[in-house]
Amino acid sequence: MPDWKKEIGGRLSRLGLPPTREAEIAEELAQHLDDRYEQSRQGGATKEEAYRAALLELTEGDLFARELGRVERPAGRDPIVPGAQRRTNLFRDLWQDLRYSLRTLVKNPGFTAVAVIALALGIGANSAIFSVVNTVLLRPLPYKDPDRLVMVWEDDTKGGYPRDTPAAANYVDWRAQNQVFEGMAAMADTSFNLTGAGDPERLEGKLVSADLFPLLGVEPQLGRAFLPEEDRPGGNRVVLLSHGLWQRRFGSDPKITGQPLTLNGESYTVVGVMPPHFRFPGEEAELWAPIAFTPEEAANRGRHYLKVLARMKQGVTLGQAQAEMSTIAARLQQQHPDQNKDLGAAVTSLHEYVAGDIRPALLVLLGAVGFVLLVACANVANLLLARAAARQKEIAIRVALGASRFRLIRQFLTESVLLAALGGVVGLLLSLWGVGLLQAFIPQSISQVKAVGVDGKVLVFTLLVSLLTGLIFGLAPATQASNFNLNETLKEGGRDSAAGSRGNRIRGLLVVAEVAVSLLLLIGAGLLINSFLRLRSVDPGFRTDNLLTMEVVLPETKYSEHAQRAAFYTDLLRRVEALPGVKSAAVTTNLPLYPQGNSISFSIEGRPDPATGRKPTVVTRVISPQYFSTMGIQFLQGRQLNEQDRADSPAVAVISETMARRFWPDGDPLGKRITPGRADSTDPNDWITIVGVAKDVRQFELNAEPKPQMYLSYEQAGFFEPNDLVVSTSVEPLSLASAVRKAVWEVDKDQPVSNVRTMEDILSGSIARQRFSMLLLGVFAGLALVLAAVGIYGVISYSVAQRTREIGLRMALGAQRSDVVKMVVGQGLKLVLIGVAFGLAAAFVLTRVMSSLLFGVSATDPVTFLVISLVLICVALLASFIPARNATKVDPMIALRAE
Amino acid sequence: MLDRELKKGSAELLILSLVEEQPRHGYDIGNLIERRSDGVLRFNVASLYPLLYRLEKRGWIEGRWVEKAGQRRRRYYRLTAAGKKVLAAQRSSWREFVEAISRITGIEHA
Repeated sequence: MPDWKKEIGGRLSRLGLPPTREAEIAEELAQHLDDRYEQSRQGGATKEEAYRAALLELTEGDLFARELGRVERPAGRDPIVPGAQRRTNLFRDLWQDLRYSLRTLVKNPGFTAVAVIALALGIGANSAIFSVVNTVLLRPLPYKDPDRLVMVWEDDTKGGYPRDTPAAANYVDWRAQNQVFEGMAAMADTSFNLTGAGDPERLEGKLVSADLFPLLGVEPQLGRAFLPEEDRPGGNRVVLLSHGLWQRRFGSDPKITGQPLTLNGESYTVVGVMPPHFRFPGEEAELWAPIAFTPEEAANRGRHYLKVLARMKQGVTLGQAQAEMSTIAARLQQQHPDQNKDLGAAVTSLHEYVAGDIRPALLVLLGAVGFVLLVACANVANLLLARAAARQKEIAIRVALGASRFRLIRQFLTESVLLAALGGVVGLLLSLWGVGLLQAFIPQSISQVKAVGVDGKVLVFTLLVSLLTGLIFGLAPATQASNFNLNETLKEGGRDSAAGSRGNRIRGLLVVAEVAVSLLLLIGAGLLINSFLRLRSVDPGFRTDNLLTMEVVLPETKYSEHAQRAAFYTDLLRRVEALPGVKSAAVTTNLPLYPQGNSISFSIEGRPDPATGRKPTVVTRVISPQYFSTMGIQFLQGRQLNEQDRADSPAVAVISETMARRFWPDGDPLGKRITPGRADSTDPNDWITIVGVAKDVRQFELNAEPKPQMYLSYEQAGFFEPNDLVVSTSVEPLSLASAVRKAVWEVDKDQPVSNVRTMEDILSGSIARQRFSMLLLGVFAGLALVLAAVGIYGVISYSVAQRTREIGLRMALGAQRSDVVKMVVGQGLKLVLIGVAFGLAAAFVLTRVMSSLLFGVSATDPVTFLVISLVLICVALLASFIPARNATKVDPMIALRAE
Repeated sequence: MLDRELKKGSAELLILSLVEEQPRHGYDIGNLIERRSDGVLRFNVASLYPLLYRLEKRGWIEGRWVEKAGQRRRRYYRLTAAGKKVLAAQRSSWREFVEAISRITGIEHA
């Protein structure tokens, strides 16, 4: 019989029908022609005649094709099977992939939710920390050309102060001699008592060079900055207001400039108001006045109290500026061997000055959240791998339909990037909330805290992190899924075990990685917690409970005589001690744990001053007699100061044990005499007799070793004024605040009181930075631990599910439940132990970067390493025990029947 | 032979009528039309099958591959419920048409 299909096919081909339909039509028509041929032959026709008769049926070929074309649909409108097509069109394919991915995700809401939550936690934590890093470390300071702004310090490394506040004379010389700076400005802390209309108020202020504001490139919002002639003695009764003070105290009065203000009992003229957000980094101030050095002050090299800002000339580098300043400092050392011995100069960028303290902590945290995200990625990758195994058949069909490997990988990556994008959106919402939380924890000393927020840079960062995340966790499942053996999959008839040992190995590797990274984070957190506990357990040398503190700063103008001030304190302390609930009260120049304070240099009787170089210095506090008992500072030797140590009696001092040890290492300091003047002085009024030795206190920071210190009586020492009142109470300290305030106003109704705090607040404020790093790293490590536990649980559960038959068989053959548990938990334990080994190795290397954050603990503290590893192993065992117990519930009969 | 237009107009009616009695395959349908019209009406493959597919697409007839012992499979078409209604309507309008023609031309139908 003739082969009609060729004739028919030729006519059909033009229509471009779907191949299956074309085959069907060809078959039907060929039969028809067969029948026709057969009939002709039976009617007696020759083969030739019959063939032609049959072919006649197909004449009018045009008509046939045209008619058929109207009826039949051309191919290409078949249901879309991604990857089954040969032609590629990037954007249409992408759109296809996206729709397909979205459908797949919607179809598995449980999977999608778990993955999105894990990713959102990881991405959200990253965005939140990045927004802090962005604000504190990356965003330029709000001044003109902030990159050229530097701080200049005295470098007294030998004396223990590598960044010391310069003395006025050194500043004046630096300024006159340098060639590298466009300008240099000094500022000093001060405070003003504002009286007149309304309650008396104590305001933090700054004395500044007239050129500070032009140097920063900031102009007042209202009025003008200081004029050069106002920066001279006599012309300096002018003041600039902060925007906040102007609003709060003066109701944003637009006519404020030119008006008089009573500050410290003297009249000042307001010349301007600064813009709303202006502040000098790290310095709170509500008022600025010209510093106006007197000629004596401008020649003083002994009082180190300034902060010096400078602007480098265009093109000058930090290194050049440092070199120039070192040269000048060396010259000053030669010119003033007594006062400038060993005194260098240090130049630091303003940015480093602002962010320097918190930078290591933030970088460690940024690294930590990165690791948290990696753990989240590993988890999601694991989920995807398990799902890819279940999708083997789908993939096989697509491959059979002609999908290329590249196309499959792309489809999988589209899915994972889409997941990551969802996670990114949710994560961004989380980070908005997280930034709010962070602001509560960031130490207040970080000046830009209030400005922390989510801006464009954070959005871009989140977007990039999300995309990268999607690619990272999508790659493993994608290559894994596309790289399988079509034949094998089809042969196995869709049994899920097709994922095979390779999939299990990848899942195992991911768990190992999760465990390793979590361990690294946990060890980091453990070291910080350890440090923090040690810091908290440092004996500050005084008690912190039931102490109320406040600042009472007497204006010099009103209390110009030392006797007046002493009388004020005596009266105040008497009244406060009479209050119910008060055990004792005292005043001091500076409370402990305050980063600044006075020091004086001194000579010891019978020991000649060094021919060159500076005399030893000692931290000096001027106190009232009850200070030691009020603060609970222990006494070691001699007597305390008392009421008999009056202005007209011989001057006495109590020294700290460190001072005693340093200067009288093998003798008794009691009765020895020292002087702030010259060692050869014969004036008995110059000499101070040591009458007692007290235990050390931590003067500046909990984690800084105590420096030599002495205490002088407020009645005898007129050169430093007590500012801080401290009250020991038998009741909750803050409950007495208003009573103590009232006592102050009974003595002087115009006297402001400020900074009312408990000693515990001061202590906890002094370690806010450490608490911040510890809490955050702790939270991140906890997050990683939970994610890792979930990951282990997932992998072990999956493997138990895969091995149901095997377990059933074992139990049918007599395995005990404990054997099954041992087998399954053992599998988990193996992964965990490998992970722990890698984690320990990584931690050993990486925790070194955080050594500057640690206190009293080495970065490779073996106890921390051991304890944390055990904790992690226990959690991991628990995570694999749950699926193991489920495995023992396998009914052998059911498990075997499933075969 | 009748004019192509006339044939086309009546072809649907012919096919629907033939598959009303019983399911038939394409060759059978073509053959019956030729035999019962004594060779006056003839469809070849080129005209018959597009028509069949169109009717099938409209849902008036339905084709199914049927296998019988010792034979190749064949595609049999049967009348659907929708097809039955169409057939009834076409029959009555055809009858009216033919009667009208007869009355005018004086040709008696047999």
